[in-house]
Amino acid sequence: MASITRSPRRWKEWLTGWAFVFPAVALFAVMGVYTIGSGLALSFASWNGFTPEWIWVGLENYADLLWADPSLAPGVRRAAWNTLQVCVAVPLLTVLISLPLAMTLNSVRRLRGLLRSVYFLPYVTTGIATYYAWRYLLEPEGSINLMLRSVGLGSLAQPQGWLANPSTALWTLIFILVWSAVPTATLLYLTGLQAIDPSMVEAARIDGAGPRQVLWRIIVPLLTPMTTGIVLLGVRDSLHGFQIFQIMTLGGPGGHTNVLALETYELAFFKGLAPTLGLSSALGWLLFVAAVLLTLANARLLRRVR
Amino acid sequence: MTAARIAKTAAYVALTIYAALSLYPFLWMVSGAFKTREEILDGGHLIPREPTFDTIVTTWNQLAFVDYFRNSLVVTGLTVLGVLVVYSLASYAFAVLRFPGAKTLYWLFVALLFVPGITMLLPVVILENRLGLLGTHMGLVLPFINGTAPLTVLLLTAAYRSIPKELREAARADGASEARIFLRVYLPLTKPAHVTIAVLTAVPTWNEYVLSRVSLNDESLYTLPLGLESLISGTVVRYNEVLAASLIMVLPVVALFAFLQRYFVNGLVGAVKG
Repeated sequence: MASITRSPRRWKEWLTGWAFVFPAVALFAVMGVYTIGSGLALSFASWNGFTPEWIWVGLENYADLLWADPSLAPGVRRAAWNTLQVCVAVPLLTVLISLPLAMTLNSVRRLRGLLRSVYFLPYVTTGIATYYAWRYLLEPEGSINLMLRSVGLGSLAQPQGWLANPSTALWTLIFILVWSAVPTATLLYLTGLQAIDPSMVEAARIDGAGPRQVLWRIIVPLLTPMTTGIVLLGVRDSLHGFQIFQIMTLGGPGGHTNVLALETYELAFFKGLAPTLGLSSALGWLLFVAAVLLTLANARLLRRVR
Repeated sequence: MTAARIAKTAAYVALTIYAALSLYPFLWMVSGAFKTREEILDGGHLIPREPTFDTIVTTWNQLAFVDYFRNSLVVTGLTVLGVLVVYSLASYAFAVLRFPGAKTLYWLFVALLFVPGITMLLPVVILENRLGLLGTHMGLVLPFINGTAPLTVLLLTAAYRSIPKELREAARADGASEARIFLRVYLPLTKPAHVTIAVLTAVPTWNEYVLSRVSLNDESLYTLPLGLESLISGTVVRYNEVLAASLIMVLPVVALFAFLQRYFVNGLVGAVKG
């Protein structure tokens, strides 16, 4: 009896639920399922984008990228090494800068609101406009070099420009990536710090905990959820993002700032009639595997820290 | 007392240095936009010696800024609108309604976080080419909306879950329909989360370059980033004009953020707690 009266109502709730998710699922079916499926299929084929037929090559694309093709594999390996440096350095430096910054900001009263807005500016403006501005500042006669010279640090200045020197280019880009990642991280840490109950810190002090112990035993553990989020999103953005590399250096000088996502993009759109679309898809999926592996490794590492 | 004062001064010095670093390229954008072609070449001074409006005027006239603005507004506006409609509905269902497949679908959307945009880029271009969408604004908007799915679903579902269930029960007892509960109870209570999503969507969309670059061919459909790029692709780069154009491009986003800032911060706090 009960089930008979309840079942139309349950059906109604089911239908409502499906109706609410329908637009998202429909869009995903077209832009997600289909593209993921065809992209994965293409990674096992050879195609230049113009011929009517794909030529199936099995795992050859993956093998070519990883070791088999001497004109490709070394470049991919170098791009992988650059990508790895970005993936480790950007989240790490972001945390190391934004945590003390948020703690300092949290310790002052006056100007806190204004400073918080100023710190957020790089996030709001980041993109092609700011990248061009940085390019101008990093030129041989740009303001960075001139500033270094004027304070007597001329030996640190880069006469070729910071982006043209192979040994400084990648780290200059990492610096700008950190600069644009610090705003969100600082804001997250600041909200985390403000959620900490002051009486807890007070109680620890009364029990004889020094400032260092308060930091490492109370504040850092309580901020772990923020740190996890910042690191995971940072790693993801470093693996996926390549706009800055494309706009500021295009992988140069001489491949020193080439990253895997940029290589994938070049293989997809800038190889003319060469059949590199399958290679591009394969590299894209290798990037996906790397993203999953790095996330799992990070999640493990961060859990141990906690 | 003095030790505390020294600590406080040190704190403000550190905070000011980082503030200067945050503002650095932005200040030079403003400065460059008021310099002449000659003055920009000798680049060491921030304050222009003879500030001029000519650079901004020439830059504005040289490019079809009105078109680029309109195109950027259309693409960004439609994307933000689409994201808010599509994923607030879906997240409401994930957070509140019970139906078969809810959990699977939720995790599917979240898992998309790991699929790199670049992996999807080529298949999206191939698909849109077949559908005749390539090179249109809709051809940008649809993948942009889909691309925000993971973070948006995560944040909005968390926001809806933080609303006490009793409110929905009470509204249902009063005979309110599901759509009404969603619109009249849940949406007003989660306004900050929606503003946060709107900003987190609008900023990258306004600055998007990669997909726009490979899909738009018709110059009258160009968005601001592509317009800006055309200034730098020539052989001689006039940085005063590039900086002026950059300034014109970032000012609306800065204004929007200044306007929405209070909600944005609250929404982010809510999302983190959720």
